[in-house]
Amino acid sequence: MKFTPELEIPGGCIKPLHYDDLDGLFELYQHPEIPGQRPLADKEQLNRMIDYSVQMAATQRGMMWAIETDGQIKGMVSGFDWQASSLRITMRVDGLPALSQSERGNALKAAMDFLTDKYHIRNFAYQWIEGQSEEIKSVLEELGFKKAARFRRAWRTGNTDFADVEQYHWLSAQSKPVARRLGDDDQLGQNIDSSPSGEVK
Amino acid sequence: MNWNFETEHFHIRLPVSDTDGEALYELLRHDSAVAHIPRLPMSVSDQPEDELRRIAMRFESREAAYWLIERKSDNRVIARIGIQHINWMMLNTQLQWELSDDCDLVALQEVLPVITEYLMKDLHIQRLEMRLCQNVQRPDGNTHEGYLTELGFEYEGTLPAQLEFSGQDVDLAVYSLVNEETAH
Repeated sequence: MKFTPELEIPGGCIKPLHYDDLDGLFELYQHPEIPGQRPLADKEQLNRMIDYSVQMAATQRGMMWAIETDGQIKGMVSGFDWQASSLRITMRVDGLPALSQSERGNALKAAMDFLTDKYHIRNFAYQWIEGQSEEIKSVLEELGFKKAARFRRAWRTGNTDFADVEQYHWLSAQSKPVARRLGDDDQLGQNIDSSPSGEVK
Repeated sequence: MNWNFETEHFHIRLPVSDTDGEALYELLRHDSAVAHIPRLPMSVSDQPEDELRRIAMRFESREAAYWLIERKSDNRVIARIGIQHINWMMLNTQLQWELSDDCDLVALQEVLPVITEYLMKDLHIQRLEMRLCQNVQRPDGNTHEGYLTELGFEYEGTLPAQLEFSGQDVDLAVYSLVNEETAH
């Protein structure tokens, strides 16, 4: 069963997390972009995260891709807090310093296009945390995100320290899917390898 | 840890599953109590029993806590005020209230500070927010967001299309109160 596809972006792709990429992912986790997050100490923990990434996608809780350009893992793009029945999800990109802003935007767009087409997600949120690069906000605005709110002291960065969070949204103009009877198609599990007749490729 | 409080005119207490069903139904069967959430009012008298069981379980796991606001003069429950989605790591939570027509700003000004003080001083919550539909009128001509502003909450923005209700996408405004003692 495959739930997370590999998608092309200029110069590379976004692809499912894989055990072969453990070293690249570990390097990414040595440079956390999230304020207050510490570098990961134990590489073994990433094995569990890769397991989770499959389970999350299978149960429509989230989806995670590695961003690979120029043959190097430069970041991750993820969807989490997936509200499948409300057609909502929150996106996030984590990148190494080598990840350019255009690569960040391309990866985010590829993931969002897939989630829009495959799962009919209409409402994408992105949380920018005070202390992160201001350039991330420019990338979001170029993709059409609009700032909806600034949450005061919503992100804890230390024992007694907190940062504000700005929440951006992008709403799809696509019409909502029409509900059908259960069993009318085989897409309930959203296995991307399955055909409309239910056969697995 | 005592989660029950008292003010001059009100008991602020956790619900009792065996005995509060009728009072909860009387409160939540009116659209005016839940329209700002938005949620459908209760319509079947068995619903409070389920709700009380659910909130007892959510309280036991410290995922949520709901207080009934009982007026001392006639023992009537005039409101339910709760916190949910408690994030113990980030130290924030979402406030929700359901108000009868008898619960006005004056009553909230007596009751809510007791709850917020408990949350911020005893539970160390740093941020309390409410997400709600705007412009839902109260009997006194005020709005829920008007009450929140009077109670010291600040408007932070409006999140688009957060849920679908009655065939419409619903935007939710966010108002918050932060722990000023630790904010600076």
